[in-house]
Amino acid sequence: MITLNHYLILAAMLFCIGLFGVLTSKSALRVVICVELVLNAVNINLAAFSVYVAPREAVGVNFVIFLMVVAAAEVGLALALLITLNRTSDISAIDRITRMKG
Amino acid sequence: MSSDVVMFYTYALVAVAGALGLVLASRLIHAVMSLFATLFAIAALYLLLGSEFLAAMQLFVYGGAITVLVLFVLILTRPAPEGADRTRKGTMWTAGGVCALFFGVLAITLGRADFRVAAGQSHDAASLASILFSRYVLPFEIAGLVLTIALIGAIVLAREDDVLDTPSDLPEGARVPGTMTLGEAAAAAATYVKEEAAEGLAPDAAPSPGSVPAEAGGAE
Repeated sequence: MITLNHYLILAAMLFCIGLFGVLTSKSALRVVICVELVLNAVNINLAAFSVYVAPREAVGVNFVIFLMVVAAAEVGLALALLITLNRTSDISAIDRITRMKG
Repeated sequence: MSSDVVMFYTYALVAVAGALGLVLASRLIHAVMSLFATLFAIAALYLLLGSEFLAAMQLFVYGGAITVLVLFVLILTRPAPEGADRTRKGTMWTAGGVCALFFGVLAITLGRADFRVAAGQSHDAASLASILFSRYVLPFEIAGLVLTIALIGAIVLAREDDVLDTPSDLPEGARVPGTMTLGEAAAAAATYVKEEAAEGLAPDAAPSPGSVPAEAGGAE
């Protein structure tokens, strides 16, 4: 029998792996896709809570759809920024991008 | 073991293995492929949860659009030198320790947590839509606005700077050879309509002065 806790632990695992990726990679593209992984873990949490705790109302699933919209917008903007950075400078490591430091 | 348990553990294994591959792969193209495996497994988990609309959206938005977008950026950008996208070994061990500790705390807490699980039939796409288009219709519209603004912002950020700009560094009154301003173009078009188009299609008709700018070489 698969319970709610199974899904939550799986989501926690994906979240921690994504967090590890964000913390350890210097390539901006990998950071962006690791953030996607973290967002997906949150989505699993919301969907699982919605199905198990409030099965009659699809509120959590609605939140997942809105999160997908935000994630799509975020990825589009992040990748546009990445392309601009790549065109205007030779920098590929994100810890050397200091142009917007104020 | 029922088939649900087998399917859950299979998809969970694929998802976690893909996530590990995404984090640990040395080449970015392998990382993106691992990401695709993870997103696919998560879509299967949504199906297992009984929300088939969410599974379809996961495949469309994440598996389709976002993966292809990341692949395009991978193609369009210069590759990083081999092994340059890793932090120092000490940082990796520290981050791994912190993440493992965080996961340990979460797993212990979640393993002992007892949620008030309600029994009942799972919702379908129709009940999802009935909430989305009644109670959440304003956030729905705002989400569309957010997507539009993000699209415009991405275009503004990523386009070449000199494609659409007017040559603003020219001194005042200077002319680029062979061009005319909008007013001159309108005047020339009016001259053409009045004087030349009325003459029909005479093969030896010379253009009348004023209809073609002299710099363009038409009235030599």
